[in-house]
Amino acid sequence: MSSVDWIVLFGTLLAIVAYGAWKTRGSKTIEGYLKGDNRMKWWMIGISIMATQASAITFLSTPGQAIEDGMRFIQIYFGLPIAMVILSVTLVPIYYRLKVYTAYEYLEGRFDLKTRTLAATYFLLLRGLSAGITLYAPAIVLATILNWSLYFTTVMIGVLVIIYVTTGGTRAVSLTQRYQMAVIMTGMLTAGFIAYSLIPDHVSFGDTVALAGELGKLNLVNIEFNLEDRYNIWSGIIGGTFLSLAYFGTDHSQVARYLGGVSLAESRMGLMFNGLLKIPMQFIILFIGVMVFVFFLFNKPPVYFNQHLMERARDISPEAIAELEASYDALYNEKSTVVENLVKAIQQEDAGAVSAVKSGYFEIAEKERSIRDSVKVVIAEVIPGAKTQDRDFIFLNFVINNLPRGLVGLLIAVMFSAAMSSMASELNALASATTVDLYKRSFRKEASPGHYVLASRLFTVMWALLAMLFAILASFEENLIQFVNIVGSLFYGTLLGIFVTAFYLKWVRGTAVFIAAIIAEVLVFYCHYFTDIAFLWYIFVGCFSVIIGSIVIQAFLRKT
Amino acid sequence: MHESDEGRPPVFKSWNTWYGLVLGIFVLQVIIFYLITSAFL
Repeated sequence: MSSVDWIVLFGTLLAIVAYGAWKTRGSKTIEGYLKGDNRMKWWMIGISIMATQASAITFLSTPGQAIEDGMRFIQIYFGLPIAMVILSVTLVPIYYRLKVYTAYEYLEGRFDLKTRTLAATYFLLLRGLSAGITLYAPAIVLATILNWSLYFTTVMIGVLVIIYVTTGGTRAVSLTQRYQMAVIMTGMLTAGFIAYSLIPDHVSFGDTVALAGELGKLNLVNIEFNLEDRYNIWSGIIGGTFLSLAYFGTDHSQVARYLGGVSLAESRMGLMFNGLLKIPMQFIILFIGVMVFVFFLFNKPPVYFNQHLMERARDISPEAIAELEASYDALYNEKSTVVENLVKAIQQEDAGAVSAVKSGYFEIAEKERSIRDSVKVVIAEVIPGAKTQDRDFIFLNFVINNLPRGLVGLLIAVMFSAAMSSMASELNALASATTVDLYKRSFRKEASPGHYVLASRLFTVMWALLAMLFAILASFEENLIQFVNIVGSLFYGTLLGIFVTAFYLKWVRGTAVFIAAIIAEVLVFYCHYFTDIAFLWYIFVGCFSVIIGSIVIQAFLRKT
Repeated sequence: MHESDEGRPPVFKSWNTWYGLVLGIFVLQVIIFYLITSAFL
């Protein structure tokens, strides 16, 4: 990176952190620290909700997901608008009426302490693990791309977040998220425009879209019902609704965002804002990935996108890598001709020619995939333990090698900002739940407000240190954005089931739902490890297991 | 919570209009996405 890029990167990050910490310094009450004194307007809540959900993983992985698998990933968000409406009608008014600090407080009044503690523990497990992934994802990719140490990248993100979250709590989180989202959207849209501008002039925007469509990248909706297919309209609407209900209704990293609203109306509007804008935002990010895909049709991509690993493998086994690269180069020349023929066929609107050229392209793409797989095999052989999945490196590889000076720094700042905005919400929520649901409730019931603010700050630091440790020690084979959704799906169903039972099954008591929640979690883990069911359905399984289990156990308890 | 805030959403007279708008735009998006997908099948 050039010196301009470094200035843009560190200038952006430090300015946001310093402004957030300075502007929100001196929170002295637990109300102020954990709920931001209920001063947030609807648009601040909306931005904060979106910034919390969109972590660095979203911006690193999603364009790569579109390049390799097309835009069908968008279906995972189909349940979100439905869930926003359901939550606005049902859950949000209850949280406001009870004036709770965390979602789990409600469960003690409705059931008992053990159910509240169990739900808070599931949340801490899920969100603690996710905070580690939220930090790990950008840390590993940025460390590799910038040739920094993983320790440095991890500690840098972690320490910057600790500074402003411990200073200003919830208000600092939402204040900084506004500026971070502005940086993120500016950077991503600029990258998309540049990707398109680098496509040859004889290919119009219409041709670009047609090219992507003909090559299978505009596969936005699949209406075929298949339980083993991760992304189709049914898993998106049914599984996605359950996922969103659980995430926005029971995960305190999101609940805390709208509990900080000036009023119930502002919180509801924040959710409506998210319901209207989330799908278009994901569409834009995926479409940027499609633009990069088309760019790589006219500009030779590397055979393997993690250049750091590639260079290490080349040093150890130069002949094997050179041989594969030579085959890849020859194939790329062949592919270039086919792509130009496809553009001509599209421009001439010759459906027969398009179909014929397309089948030629897919044959070449298959051979290309086979060479890429061979490179991964070589890397795995010569560098034991290396993570060979390179999808998460595709977008940043494009950025580093093709964007002008200054913009590279901005795009790296995008990734750091996204990591920081999500992590800040997560740490804030983890600290809130640990303080309110465990420490204040079960360990230190009577203390001064200052004591609990200090405890929250210390728990923020504790969870940040745990996330940093996890990020340094972790290793994942899954694509990161899928992995983080899988982790959520393992716990969200059970959490949602507990809340649904609380609201609608008034005769069910604490012991029944407590036992059912433990059984449901075992069942979800069984589905994950011993069946091929797609992960979005785990939430469905977990939720209904709690509901049905509670009814059966309650009936049994009544009889005895 | 301020009870008086509960009743009146901004812009529209009732929350149901907001909910209808969010769900209506969602359905419209799915239809557009389906048409885009179908165009290249």
